[in-house]
Amino acid sequence: MSYEIPMGPYHPGLEEPYKLNMICEGETVKDARLHIGFNFRGIEHLAETRNYIQVIALMERVCGICSFIHTLTLCQAIEKLTGLNPPPRAQYIRVVLGELERLHSHVLWAGIAAKLMGFKTMFMTCFEIREKVMDVLQAISGNRVNYAMNRIGGVNRDIEDPQSILGMVEALEKEMTRTIIPIFTTSKTATSRCADIGVLTTEKARSLGVVGPVARASGVGQDLRKDAPYAAYAEMDFTVPVVPDGDVRARLLVRALEIMESCKILRQALTTMPAGEIAPPGDGSKFSFITGTATARVEAPRGEVMYSVSWKENARTPSRVHVRTPTYVNMPSVRFMVQGARLADTPLIQASVDPCYSCTDR
Amino acid sequence: MSTVESIPTAPAKTEGFSEKGGVFWYSDSGLNVRDVARSMNAVGARFITATTYELPGNGAFRLEYHWDLMGRLLGFNFPLAENTIESIYDLCEAADWIEREIHEEYRIDFTGREYEPLLLREGNVCGVNLQKEVVQ
Repeated sequence: MSYEIPMGPYHPGLEEPYKLNMICEGETVKDARLHIGFNFRGIEHLAETRNYIQVIALMERVCGICSFIHTLTLCQAIEKLTGLNPPPRAQYIRVVLGELERLHSHVLWAGIAAKLMGFKTMFMTCFEIREKVMDVLQAISGNRVNYAMNRIGGVNRDIEDPQSILGMVEALEKEMTRTIIPIFTTSKTATSRCADIGVLTTEKARSLGVVGPVARASGVGQDLRKDAPYAAYAEMDFTVPVVPDGDVRARLLVRALEIMESCKILRQALTTMPAGEIAPPGDGSKFSFITGTATARVEAPRGEVMYSVSWKENARTPSRVHVRTPTYVNMPSVRFMVQGARLADTPLIQASVDPCYSCTDR
Repeated sequence: MSTVESIPTAPAKTEGFSEKGGVFWYSDSGLNVRDVARSMNAVGARFITATTYELPGNGAFRLEYHWDLMGRLLGFNFPLAENTIESIYDLCEAADWIEREIHEEYRIDFTGREYEPLLLREGNVCGVNLQKEVVQ
């Protein structure tokens, strides 16, 4: 006899509201249906009523964790419509902020995953480290969540003393190498809890078009920082971790390895940052839009974000802003991950996607 | 050469495509969306999304479909006749949620597929969230 168990929209295992209706036989999940939309704010519609300054502030609020990435993608799309090219130093600062945000996101996820594994001490450790990542972000931008760093054609604030930021990043790296990385890569407590559950095969990952760490943990080696470099990523030396297993352990491992790669990128960007302007000088900050549509993509912590922006010459507001977020394409895979899983594993399986419903619902 | 054959098999071959606004657009206006989806599957491209544009004045729409082929963003433009277009869900599983969302937000019908209950809203009202001119 089968029965249906709802998880959500409000559940201790969920960071944000969504609903997973699971059809079970005994303790085994046979199928599942997902319901989203509890965070729908009509942001795309609202964007059509905002000017080119206001729309940046608005899109920064699509997501509280990858807020920098959203404004970066938007600004890169608008820069194609205005013909503005950010100076090299601004491109490096964008890399620094992007990687700090990846650290922040991955460490936050690690904490939530640890909590769902029943590993509460690790949860506290991860959140302590996350606070320190936010301290670095605050030292650069003055803010801990919405950084207001991006502008069309550059960034708003300089990193005046990259060496002091480098010192903070190195201290963070040392602490993560001592705590998070060994626990999530070699500790039996974490890896045995996550091995062979929530499997997404390479074939299914390709078919569903999943992105980011979810794809890379299923053997799909895609990363826009390598495949279609933006900002100063073409000048960075780093590797893209790919694990073929497709289970929750693989997602854990990929994110742990990405933390180390982010530290490597941060070291390079902070030591080789070129001198110069951070935005077009003087009258270069004045620009006009050409009529048309432009698209930009960025590798966010959870995977590819894409913005399509349409603007008409002399218009005060965009005629269309479309946002395609990584969770939007990753979430349908949860249905296939939980099929055949034990009911008790489902909170951890759905969390292994690192879902963001603010992004998904917009 | 048919439109299907002219879609590039590798990023280096881009005949028929021109770059604008960060996208390699295919210039043929007589494309069929299902032919494009089959061609993209054949070359191993990854479906990214479809974007809806409401045309000013008459409430008509056009859709832009995007695929990624080895880091290149390919774009295909489809004006809609009577707010209807063929579904590619059976050819491209990744298109499921975006077709459902566009159906719900703009009341555009993707023919040849069944819809599950609304993705974003409970109830049975489509086309009220993002459509500029709402017809009840």
